[in-house]
Amino acid sequence: MRDVAVVSFAQTKNVRRENRRNEVEMLIPVVQEAVEKSGVPKQEIGFYCSGSSDYLAGQSFSFVMAVDCLGAWPPIAESHVEMDGAWALYEAWIKIQCGEADSALIFSFGRSSPGVIRETLVLQLDPYTLAPLGADPVSLAALQARALLESTDHSEREMAEVAARNRSNAKNNPYAQLTGDFDVDELLAEPYFVSPLRKHDCAPISDGATAIVIAADDVARKASKKPAWIRGIDHRIESHQLGLRDLSQSTSTSLAGEKAGAIDIDVAELHAPFSHQELILRDALSLGDDVKINPSGGALAANSVMVAGLTRIGEAANAIWDGTARRALGHATSGPCLQQNLVCVLEGE
Amino acid sequence: MAIKQEGVLTISEFPTTFTLEYPYTRTLGPVIGPFLTALRDGRILGIRCGSRVLCPPLEFDPDTGETLSPDFVEVGPAGCVEFWTWIAEPSRKHPFQEPFAFAQVKLDGADTAMTHAVKAAGPEAMSAGMRVKAQFREERTGAITDVYFVPEGDARDVAIAPGEGEVAISTHLISLTFEENLYPSRARYAQGLLDGKFIGQRSPVNGTVSIPGKGYDPLARVLMTEADDVELASTGTATSFTVITPIQYKGQTETEPYVSASIFLDGADQALSMQNIYSIPVDEFREGMRLRAIFKPAAERNVDNVDNSWMIFTTGNVIERWEPTGEPDVPPEEFPEQI
Repeated sequence: MRDVAVVSFAQTKNVRRENRRNEVEMLIPVVQEAVEKSGVPKQEIGFYCSGSSDYLAGQSFSFVMAVDCLGAWPPIAESHVEMDGAWALYEAWIKIQCGEADSALIFSFGRSSPGVIRETLVLQLDPYTLAPLGADPVSLAALQARALLESTDHSEREMAEVAARNRSNAKNNPYAQLTGDFDVDELLAEPYFVSPLRKHDCAPISDGATAIVIAADDVARKASKKPAWIRGIDHRIESHQLGLRDLSQSTSTSLAGEKAGAIDIDVAELHAPFSHQELILRDALSLGDDVKINPSGGALAANSVMVAGLTRIGEAANAIWDGTARRALGHATSGPCLQQNLVCVLEGE
Repeated sequence: MAIKQEGVLTISEFPTTFTLEYPYTRTLGPVIGPFLTALRDGRILGIRCGSRVLCPPLEFDPDTGETLSPDFVEVGPAGCVEFWTWIAEPSRKHPFQEPFAFAQVKLDGADTAMTHAVKAAGPEAMSAGMRVKAQFREERTGAITDVYFVPEGDARDVAIAPGEGEVAISTHLISLTFEENLYPSRARYAQGLLDGKFIGQRSPVNGTVSIPGKGYDPLARVLMTEADDVELASTGTATSFTVITPIQYKGQTETEPYVSASIFLDGADQALSMQNIYSIPVDEFREGMRLRAIFKPAAERNVDNVDNSWMIFTTGNVIERWEPTGEPDVPPEEFPEQI
């Protein structure tokens, strides 16, 4: 196995509606910043991979348009996943492990504002038994929250505490969208949105973009004073039928965490677009009270679809770089109710 | 917003609406086909998987991936709610337009729960473990929406006559609506068209001119602004064309063959593509022809079909016709290079 490290991370501010810039205009400064911070000369980056979905803004082949942000002349080696950028990073990591590149730039972008994200995400479901019901992600997450509340000791108060802590943490994150100090009792006095979820239990709708550079071995050591080494990365998926899963747990996260070596973690950046999902993920990864969760504010503070998972890996690297963590964990999720989960364990020198 | 002013449209934000629709048609296979056929006929099928019964049925064992033989078991029509959520504000895509519940329903005889809708009086009528019963709709087409659930005591008897044949195909129209303003660079291009001008952008790095401007130079990776806008001439050279012979499909408005041409405006490094030309006879059209755009009167121009698409750019409905300038043709070796 080659040693591969995250050497830079850049992101846009997440906003409810970005309508002054198109996707490429959003990406150009972010990609430029990631390249500059990485220390890897642009012309030496060996591979590019992006994560995005055409359905978000209704632009066919928008991932092809996005290549404009890279300056693809002379020609470059490039790939794309119709998934969160965290999976694009996984593809790039494999490419480097195979010896086909020594460095890679991964980027993702998501502009949900032109469409109706609750309707758009229905299209990821089983087209025979779920999509025709319009079973949107908030409704399905609410079923999962109910499963958690009914079958474990977790409470709506803990969910509100998760929401309050993330948004309070996000006050220190200039890229976050929904930040501030919230009183848990006041949150619990709010009516249900989609029971047992209240509005505060749900992520905001965000537009944003993220870019990360990873590099192998000596390329990383030469480029970066403090590479955030990827000690383990793994992703696992569960059934598309909710009835075949125990929704109060995340077996795929536990397995991915085990394979990625998720132990002795100081900081965990968990991609939980709903407050109860953070509780499920903490349990799945056996993260105790000594682990700092989401210093960035997590997805409850900024949730650009296709971006928020890759951002978690970037924020985990930030925790290594700023000295908060010796070992940090970045997690990404995809699909309804934490169907698919990726765990990436980073470590400083 | 679009404002009509003395018959001339002046626009500052250019709102656009786009509806994306795909009418999906799917074959159903040996398991979902019988499942949906049974729903049409008022019955619910599970499938045997070892000692378990799965409902909805799957073609494979979820634990091993082994193909399951089509060993169906009728389940329900009643069962228990495992988990539920109350949908106080349904969306236009939901099975009901008034408040209802989504629930995980484990039908009698099944070992797995099905995600479905429950029609109940209110959230206070819902609880974990409550009994519910399938309520079949009067009109059934062989779809998951042929049925919903109600509290067991509320179920009405519906006389169901089995349909004819097997349900082998499902149709599912997906429809998404997108609403946004034109990007600023595209809005200035659209405003230019309304004003009877071609507005492009000149790269501050290498001087190449694109129309419409993208807001950035893709090769130099620099952002461009209004300061980089340039007005192009309304004359140019046809560098490529095809003759379209209309096929009379539904909705076709063309009847006679016409030219669709790529035209490089003078000074541009990118062609306006798919310019329809009716005013020049098809057999007189040539590559290299010099042309001039004649704009419609201001009050007749609109840019309703200009959107944010990065692949296909229209010139709105502002050009009355392209007419020959009378200048000599440009030889192919002098055609501009497309960026």
